Amino acid sequence: MSRLTIWIILGATLTFLIGPFLIVIFAGMSAGEALAFPPQGLSLKWYAKVFTVESFQASFALSMFLAVFGTIAALLIGIPAAYALNRYDLPGSETIRTIVAAPIIVPGIIVGLALLRYFVVPLNVTITMALFVTHTALVLPYAVRVVSSSLNNLRADMEEAAVILGCTRLQAFTKVVLPNIRGGILAAFILGFVTSFNEVPASLFLSGPGVRTLPIDMLSYMEITFDPSVAALSALLAFMSVAIVFIAERLLGFSRYV
Amino acid sequence: MFLNRSEGLALALPAALFTFLVFLMPVGILLSVAFQTDTGAWSLQGYIDFFSQPLNQTVFFRTLKLGILVAGTSAVIGYLAAFCIVNLPTTSRGRIFGLVVLPLMISPVARTYAWIVILGRTGIVNDVIVGLGLSDTPIRLLFTETAVFIGLLQLFLPLMIISLVSSMENIPKDVVPAARVLGASWFQVFFRVILPLTKEGLVIGGTLVFTGALTAYITPAILGGSKVLMLETLLYQKVNVSNDFVSASVIAMILIVMCFSANLVLKRIASVKR
Amino acid sequence: MSNAFVSLTDLTLSYGQTVAVPDLNLDVLEGELIALLGPSGCGKTTTMRAIAGLLTPTSGRIVIDGLDVTRTPANKRGIGLVFQSYALFPHLSAFENVAFGLRLLKLPNAQVRARTEAGMATVGLTGFETRKPAEMSGGQQQRLALARSLVMEPKVLLLDEPLSNLDARLRLEMRNELQRVQKDTGITMVFVTHDQSEALALADRIVLMKDGKIEQLGTPAELYAKPATAFAADFMGFENIFRVEGSELVSHLGRLSVGYEAKVHMLAWRPSGVGVGTGPHTGRVISSSFAGGHREYVLNSPLGQIKADAPIETPEVPIGHEVAFDLPMATARSLAA
Repeated sequence: MSRLTIWIILGATLTFLIGPFLIVIFAGMSAGEALAFPPQGLSLKWYAKVFTVESFQASFALSMFLAVFGTIAALLIGIPAAYALNRYDLPGSETIRTIVAAPIIVPGIIVGLALLRYFVVPLNVTITMALFVTHTALVLPYAVRVVSSSLNNLRADMEEAAVILGCTRLQAFTKVVLPNIRGGILAAFILGFVTSFNEVPASLFLSGPGVRTLPIDMLSYMEITFDPSVAALSALLAFMSVAIVFIAERLLGFSRYV
Repeated sequence: MFLNRSEGLALALPAALFTFLVFLMPVGILLSVAFQTDTGAWSLQGYIDFFSQPLNQTVFFRTLKLGILVAGTSAVIGYLAAFCIVNLPTTSRGRIFGLVVLPLMISPVARTYAWIVILGRTGIVNDVIVGLGLSDTPIRLLFTETAVFIGLLQLFLPLMIISLVSSMENIPKDVVPAARVLGASWFQVFFRVILPLTKEGLVIGGTLVFTGALTAYITPAILGGSKVLMLETLLYQKVNVSNDFVSASVIAMILIVMCFSANLVLKRIASVKR
Repeated sequence: MSNAFVSLTDLTLSYGQTVAVPDLNLDVLEGELIALLGPSGCGKTTTMRAIAGLLTPTSGRIVIDGLDVTRTPANKRGIGLVFQSYALFPHLSAFENVAFGLRLLKLPNAQVRARTEAGMATVGLTGFETRKPAEMSGGQQQRLALARSLVMEPKVLLLDEPLSNLDARLRLEMRNELQRVQKDTGITMVFVTHDQSEALALADRIVLMKDGKIEQLGTPAELYAKPATAFAADFMGFENIFRVEGSELVSHLGRLSVGYEAKVHMLAWRPSGVGVGTGPHTGRVISSSFAGGHREYVLNSPLGQIKADAPIETPEVPIGHEVAFDLPMATARSLAA
């Protein structure tokens, strides 16, 4: 295939994949009241307005909370699990692996409905708590997978050497293992954060009046209002994700963990 | 490998127990409801009722159709794009690959919303159509199957490209030139060498895209609305509009069965064809 | 030239901005076994891939058997190529690998079967039909790759480093195999190698390449005995090469008066051409190793290190001792450049 053909195909594919974002960015810069492209005049007023909408402020705070603490919780139970699955000859390790990976396989909307009906309602769990638990469960498979793969690249005899040199097992973990899988943990955190922050289907049924994650709030805002503020917000969120991933890639070569 | 099993189990247990209690149990109960009547007796009545309604049938087949179309189209585009990416010099390969992965990190709401700007009544496409005089009034592009198809394709195409690129990178060096020298046209090279050697990537990518398209909520909700329902949006309606939990459970079961059988069927196809 | 079977005329090959082969001219005769010899990066593999049609030349012409194939795609050239990595199809059995090209010709099944079986028999792989390439040894994979090319009855068979992935014993076996195949079929073969002993042993003619240009072209005997340049001499085992100034030899380390005057640019000696034990010069032995029929010395001299072979009958000089040596005009090769 000639060089020209290659670039035509790749150009077309990338335009399809990324082009729409560029349009959203510009649509959010409209000076007019209605969503249109090309925008009617240029201004940043919609970008500014996003920050003043109260429901966006609240839902952004909730999404941030879920993404940060849900992921941390998933890492707190996921790292020991990944370590155990890698370093111990466990009975039923395949079963444990399957159980922990299950939340990826089951469609999100089913998860949300099931949790609403058979966890939240019977146990009378608060909405925030329910969302927190759900996001933890959804992020857990990523945490276990990414940490596992960086543990896999770490030779087990390093710990044995540390123990022979006088470390306790716990010290061997904190002094030898942890520093070496730091990159993997950070990558797992970023992947978990992005997954949780962008999650919609599972949170759909669990969100209640006044307590919504940001993407769901955007969905309901879109149903009522047809102004460019959602375009502006979409663009801002896209920038945020891209910036996080870009920095992560620069700092630790994020993509090799994913 | 450490031998102290109870220590290992103690480390793995919190994660397993947590997932089991707050995830598998509720989902399991929900799915079992799909086989029960209101009084709690076991029956398949839920399924019979569900499929007896024409709307439900339409939605079921539409979901299946869109899933297959999106998976098939992304396979075709995916092979072209992956072949190009693999043949790039190393530095630009990394960059282009990064651009393909990038959209996966961005909120699906934002990704889908872009299509409203493009396909809406005052969107670019309609501006062009009216501007060129092809139509006096804007054409309805949103809330069509085509819109949902385009949205889903854009959402899931990267997954196909990624898995095809990684399986193409594993094709042994010089195998393609060898087939060329032995007289194969590019067409024959693809079907006799590249396809058989990348079928694993195709199966993985195909499963990801198909199940992704089947279980996507945002795209059919935004681009299809209530005019073009898919199983996910139908499920949402059953719960939030008609409070029909049996139908919702039935749909949940159907979705899960479709996902798993897609996986099985694709695996079978891949291993039968040499 | 009139009776050339493969003819490369003013061939220029480049990757992007870098020119790998500038303006190459080469004629290969029918039935000839020719070696493209040179260090890595000399353009030999690039030239071979261009003959196969895997690379399109920037300019120049490639004529095979009277047909200009410069713009003919690889799949229409009727040329065989045995890759260095063998490039066997991992998803196909040995039989299907050999039958691959025949099936593309849409031949009747019986004919495909007959020719494939005959091809596998030629290389001694009868009985391996159902094996996958991964289940075969390196030597068997090599022969399978050879059979896969041969069954197509190509006009020209190209081989990329055909012996480099084999151990010493298999290498000899394969060398004989290639010579036998060439005798039996009379096929024109072009093979690429960086190993001069391989080229000397197999080829009818050797094309020594450097930086995309032909450094010297000739029969193995010519190249072995009369390398024309320092590069060729070095490649052919003249390991002691010195500049000549009047009656002195000069290296970047020093000079040595030899008592005769040579009206040439450089002189070169093989280790076997250097006299040890007698002679006008002395050097200190810095290494000495037994090599069967002779002993290999490295001597420290005013010119730097000199490699010299001594007959095994002469008494061994221990490391650190001084020894007399000679660089006689009689065994020297004169070099112009």
